[in-house]
Amino acid sequence: MGGIGRLNGYLWRYWRRYLLGALCLLGTATLVMWIPWWIREAVRIIEHGGRVEDVTFYAGIIVVAAVAQGVIRTYSRALIFNAGRDIEYDLRNDLFAHLERLPVSYYQAQRTGDLMSRVINDISAVRVLLGPGILNLVNAPLYYLYALILMISMDLRMTLAALLPYPLLMWAIRYFRGRILKSSLQVQQQMSELSSHVQENLSGMHVVKAYTREENQERRFADLNDEYQARSLELAKLRGMIGPFMQGISGLTVMIVIWYGGIRVMRGDLLIADIVAFIAYLNILAWPTAAFGWMLSLVERGRAAMERLEEIFKIEPTIASPPAPVPLRGAEHRIEFRDVWFAYEPKANGQPILREINFTLPRGQTLAIVGRTGAGKTTLAQLLPRLYDVTAGEIRIGGADIRRLSLSELRGMLGYVPQDPFLFSASLRRNLAFGLAEVTEEKIQRVVRLARLDRDLEIFPQGLDTIVGERGVTLSGGQRQRATLARALLLDPPILVLDDCLSSVDAQTEDEILKGLRSILKEKTCLIISHRLSAIKDADQILVVDEGRIAERGNHQELLLNDGIYAELFRQQQLTEELEQI
Amino acid sequence: MSVESHHQEEIFGKAYDLKLIKRLWRFILPYKRLFWFSMLLLPLQQLFGLAQPYIMKEAIDDYIAGGDLWGLQGMALLFLVALIGEVIAFYFHYYMTMLVAQGCLADLRVAIFSHVQKLPTSYFDRNPVGRLVTRMTTDVDVLQEMFAAGVMTLISDFFMLASIVVIMFYLHVALALVSLALIPFMLLAINFFRIKARQTYRLIRERIARINAYLGEAIMGMAVIQLFVREQKSYREFDQLNSAHRDALQLSNIYEAALYSMVEAAGSVSVGLLLWYGGGEVLHGVIGIGTLVAFKEYIHRFFVPLRDFSQKYAVMQSAMSSAERIFHLLDTPVTIASPAKPVIPRPFRGEIAFEGVWFSYKEGEPVLKGVSLRVEPGEKVAVVGATGSGKTTTIKLLSRFYDIQRGSVKVSGVDVRDWDLQALRRHIGVVLQDVFLFSGNIRANLCLGDETVPQERIERAARYANAAGFIGHLPDTFNAQVRERGSNFSAGQRQLLALARVLVFQPEILVLDEATSSVDTETELLIQDALEKIMRGRTCLVIAHRLSTIRNADRIIVLHRGEVREVGSHAQLLQRRGIYYRLYQLQYAQEELRVLG
Repeated sequence: MGGIGRLNGYLWRYWRRYLLGALCLLGTATLVMWIPWWIREAVRIIEHGGRVEDVTFYAGIIVVAAVAQGVIRTYSRALIFNAGRDIEYDLRNDLFAHLERLPVSYYQAQRTGDLMSRVINDISAVRVLLGPGILNLVNAPLYYLYALILMISMDLRMTLAALLPYPLLMWAIRYFRGRILKSSLQVQQQMSELSSHVQENLSGMHVVKAYTREENQERRFADLNDEYQARSLELAKLRGMIGPFMQGISGLTVMIVIWYGGIRVMRGDLLIADIVAFIAYLNILAWPTAAFGWMLSLVERGRAAMERLEEIFKIEPTIASPPAPVPLRGAEHRIEFRDVWFAYEPKANGQPILREINFTLPRGQTLAIVGRTGAGKTTLAQLLPRLYDVTAGEIRIGGADIRRLSLSELRGMLGYVPQDPFLFSASLRRNLAFGLAEVTEEKIQRVVRLARLDRDLEIFPQGLDTIVGERGVTLSGGQRQRATLARALLLDPPILVLDDCLSSVDAQTEDEILKGLRSILKEKTCLIISHRLSAIKDADQILVVDEGRIAERGNHQELLLNDGIYAELFRQQQLTEELEQI
Repeated sequence: MSVESHHQEEIFGKAYDLKLIKRLWRFILPYKRLFWFSMLLLPLQQLFGLAQPYIMKEAIDDYIAGGDLWGLQGMALLFLVALIGEVIAFYFHYYMTMLVAQGCLADLRVAIFSHVQKLPTSYFDRNPVGRLVTRMTTDVDVLQEMFAAGVMTLISDFFMLASIVVIMFYLHVALALVSLALIPFMLLAINFFRIKARQTYRLIRERIARINAYLGEAIMGMAVIQLFVREQKSYREFDQLNSAHRDALQLSNIYEAALYSMVEAAGSVSVGLLLWYGGGEVLHGVIGIGTLVAFKEYIHRFFVPLRDFSQKYAVMQSAMSSAERIFHLLDTPVTIASPAKPVIPRPFRGEIAFEGVWFSYKEGEPVLKGVSLRVEPGEKVAVVGATGSGKTTTIKLLSRFYDIQRGSVKVSGVDVRDWDLQALRRHIGVVLQDVFLFSGNIRANLCLGDETVPQERIERAARYANAAGFIGHLPDTFNAQVRERGSNFSAGQRQLLALARVLVFQPEILVLDEATSSVDTETELLIQDALEKIMRGRTCLVIAHRLSTIRNADRIIVLHRGEVREVGSHAQLLQRRGIYYRLYQLQYAQEELRVLG
């Protein structure tokens, strides 16, 4: 299904309103078109020296028709424009729902700004197509048809004469459309050159300043700016011609009517009333004619925007629940990694990040993963909630491949605390209760104490109701991390995954938190990643990951005796701690 | 675009703000002759335009009714002349307006750009790049829209309405009164809609800003939403924002539809009134049919600008808020600038002295606490320390990227705040960890766009910095393309280019923040060799990450938590078994093992 196919589906949903709107347009057009006819009747009476009452009669009809036309026109515009707004709303909601189903890997390949511009700007362009676009698409032919029929029924030769300049108009529309399209592309291109220069200048500002290149950068900017100005002027020259041209054409038709019509009136085979009516019809046609090119560009822009949206819609969510998920068996939460391989881009023969990972984590035990930066620890943890799917091998929970479980059930039993503490711009309370429908004050207070947020809360002006700012900017790194920990603890999940989640917390607080958590961790199955070895000394198993493989495994004592990577990391750790204490 | 800033960024402006218009006027001033000329064309355009109905009247009443064929043809010709005159004046008015607009907006863009160049580094720490780009592009374009569709046409509309009223009264007072009978009501109605429209536009912009913010956050935090199985709840929240936005829009649609339809209807009602009264006047022989026709035409021309008023109003409103944002940026004070009378040290010796320097990025969180250090001319000093010890800050202060709070930083005996900023920076060559390359070619990156630098000097610098080797293997050598941020070069190659760049400019002082990222052994040797050559004869302050650098340094300064804790040579410091000893084992001993192994 292409973008337009999808759009038809939405249009169909509101067909009643569009139909009603179209009927109102028909009503409006009918009244609009009969008014000159009645003017003609009135003038005819005047011309023949008829009775004032007869003129008043037509004047009255015109006034009534005008008022009725105003009412119906309001309805037609409100109906059609608002249907467009409703589709815009549906489309934006559906796109958001679709985005929620796309895997994390998709977001890593996309720039946020790009995606946002699609959800905001492209949808707006589609809406313009569905509102003003459709309205004009219905209106223009209606007006032309009506006007032609009425004008021909007055006088065929006069109609032909009046429309003599129209072929010129058709040619002009084609001529200007092509040129303007080309010229506005050039303007856009130059604008993007200009903004990349600015972008680069600002990103490299330290180099610019350090080498005192400001003047040079300004000159380069001025050059690009001049070029942009020149191209914009080219476009303005073309755009500026349309208005006068259209006005010229419609003025020309009026002139023909007066001239040719005048001659015929003198000859006695036409009335001044006819001239008046013809001029009125030509005035009515002036607007749809002038708007014709504009309307075409709206349609084109809307279609292109819809195609871009379709690019997102047609991406299949690769990580989803299976059609018939297996139910989780009771309290059995043994985690097994069986010969797990992982690469971010397996199809492009991307480097494997993880190779041959095998381990079993029995229920209620704690497994720690350590290793240097870039060893693959975080990736390993992200496989468990299926943020990514394994490239080869399988991960089982309670004996079932996690890909056969319901996604929400799988994620629902995991408390995941990511390395990068992401909070939303809401109150701290809402952030903590993020995964829950409702929560008691008591439970919140408990996790606040566990994450040692109680002391911080005393300082916050509004305590738990303090708004944390976009992405939690008003909090320190350590506070953010502890808040994300509390957020996961509040779920009280059977499995906890802590991905180096206390790295910005000072060692003493970390110790306190870990001590407080000890009793809770005992009841849960835990996977902990940490660069502070003191935090994981007591784990039941420790895996040392190096270049994507499990290089060493055992408990703290065994690994120290082994005198390998773990022992080296431990020595470095001690040095760092000593430095911290100086 | 940065989502973070969206809320605080939104300024809800008025449609006209005298202060802003006065400031914009200053940018129009250089083009004022063109501007006035284009303004003069307006009455001309209207004269030609408004003459047409009058010609029609004459043609009908005097010639058609009188059966004067030649006279009619004369009138038709006159009509054509008026039409051509109108079209030409219309076009040139628009074109000149655009000339003025493009000219003054280009100047405005340059003004913003050069102002931004002068802003202190701390400004860029706080303001995302995307926002500043928007100021120079989107916001200025909105102003262009104002010229094209807003203010100028509003002025011309006003003139036109006034002229039509005058002509109508000139033609026939009673008929004029009848034709314009609805106008007072229309003005009241338009004013009502203007107030309503302002409120709804404001509502719409607030609500779209909220959608923007929510969406941006949801996209960045999508992993968290999915991990906490929050999809449905987030969807409902988004739906709420989305439907609130839709409701506001639909309300404004209804207002607009009603206003538009009302104006159209009023036009037709006025024609009805005209026929009712005017018809009688013609029948009584007071006026001719032509006058009636002319009045009908004038009514038609009167109602078009009224119909389009609300759109122009919206254009003006967004233009004013763009102008406000632009001027807000232009008003940002330049806090780091050269003094009025800079001191020039002669001769330039090149020693560096920090005396009791206190510095903090954020108040109450000092990064440097009373740092004092000295580097003699030609001396090579290495600075070492753990992450967060204040090393990088130290070298940023030397080039006066930030101003210190207490103490002094002196170069060649003169406080950096007394130096001419450009002169100071020309003496100091800075190579930062993350080498920044501009898109363009290698040559432009080495001379940083200074076309006066001879090719010979560039090639010599590249050879000396051991960069000529790989440049020579590129298909276009010195003209080879560099992609954005230098992404088509390896980290090692970028470092070699940065070193060559220093040599092109030949500064007396070298400040270097060595990269921590590892490069292949061959490139590493090239870099080390180049470094050694470049440092020769220069005053050097180096944040060392290489074992070879600390070995070759004349002196090592150990920074710890913003204070100088140890000073001495490598051997001396090792013997002391203090901070340096531990740092050495943590950061450099590994490398030593690798080198030995």
